[in-house]
Amino acid sequence: MAALVRISSVCHRGVKPLLLRSTTLARPLAGLIKDHDRSCVITAKIHATPSNYAGSGSKAASLHWTSERVLSIILLGMAPVAYYYPGPAIDYSLAAALTLHGHWGLGQVLTDYVHGDLKIKLANASLFVLSAFTFAGLCYFNYSDVGICKAVALLWSK
Amino acid sequence: MALLLRTVARQGLYSSRSQFGVLYRHAVPMGTTAKEEMNKFWAKNTRLNRPMSPHLTIYRWSIPMMMSITHRGTGVGLSAGISAFAIAALVLPGDYPQYLDMIHSWSFGPALITATKFALAFPVAYHTYNGIRHLIWDVGKGFKIPEVYRSGYVVIALSVLTSVALAAI
Repeated sequence: MAALVRISSVCHRGVKPLLLRSTTLARPLAGLIKDHDRSCVITAKIHATPSNYAGSGSKAASLHWTSERVLSIILLGMAPVAYYYPGPAIDYSLAAALTLHGHWGLGQVLTDYVHGDLKIKLANASLFVLSAFTFAGLCYFNYSDVGICKAVALLWSK
Repeated sequence: MALLLRTVARQGLYSSRSQFGVLYRHAVPMGTTAKEEMNKFWAKNTRLNRPMSPHLTIYRWSIPMMMSITHRGTGVGLSAGISAFAIAALVLPGDYPQYLDMIHSWSFGPALITATKFALAFPVAYHTYNGIRHLIWDVGKGFKIPEVYRSGYVVIALSVLTSVALAAI
């Protein structure tokens, strides 16, 4: 950060004499904006984020981050609901929320540890298959068996 | 004189603009550049046969660091458990109460049952409490080092208390 401030201040100092002359003569506003833009460009260059989402120019990354947090909070809220109002509604909600939370969490682990284009693709594809089977299995358990809430209650009653 | 100054200034401005253009050209495909840089870094690491980062052996282990990897470990473990359970539900014949009765009929004794309940409850409790700690960090609070340690101790204490209580039921 300190280095950044230094670089941008150097940039300002280096450019100013030229721009100041032009500002006194012609277009002050344009000159100032140019100067500002330039330091911004340098800042952006240094701050290039090594992320899968970088360069897409979208809000996908921050939207994903926010969704993860929202889901975590929803999952926290589901615990008391599952305890006080067990039933199919919360069973299927848990199946979906637990699967998605696990899918995103494991996806983050893969992002951290798996490198190489092909390996990343393979890992993500495998994770998708695993999550799909997990969700299907949990739904099947809710449909044809006792359901998640009852399963935990039975396990704990032994 | 004014004309001369103006011409010089204009030229200065143009040259600075062209420089600006060069910078801009580099800055636009930011993601690609970063990705290329990363690929170069990994290629170099592989070529020089460098050890994989993080170099665990060079760090002094600390509570927050161990709690962080435990959070990930419990997360992966719980996820694996849920997936194994779900796939078992798809694949295995027979229903859940049946299997539960079968395991119960092996009569492991109360000590082992309580230990198993603790082993199941602890990762859930820990991941939940530490998850809340993470959510508090996510809103930008509790980043000072003493706070990080304090919240860590609170999470450990609550996790142990909760899982002991749950195992005792």
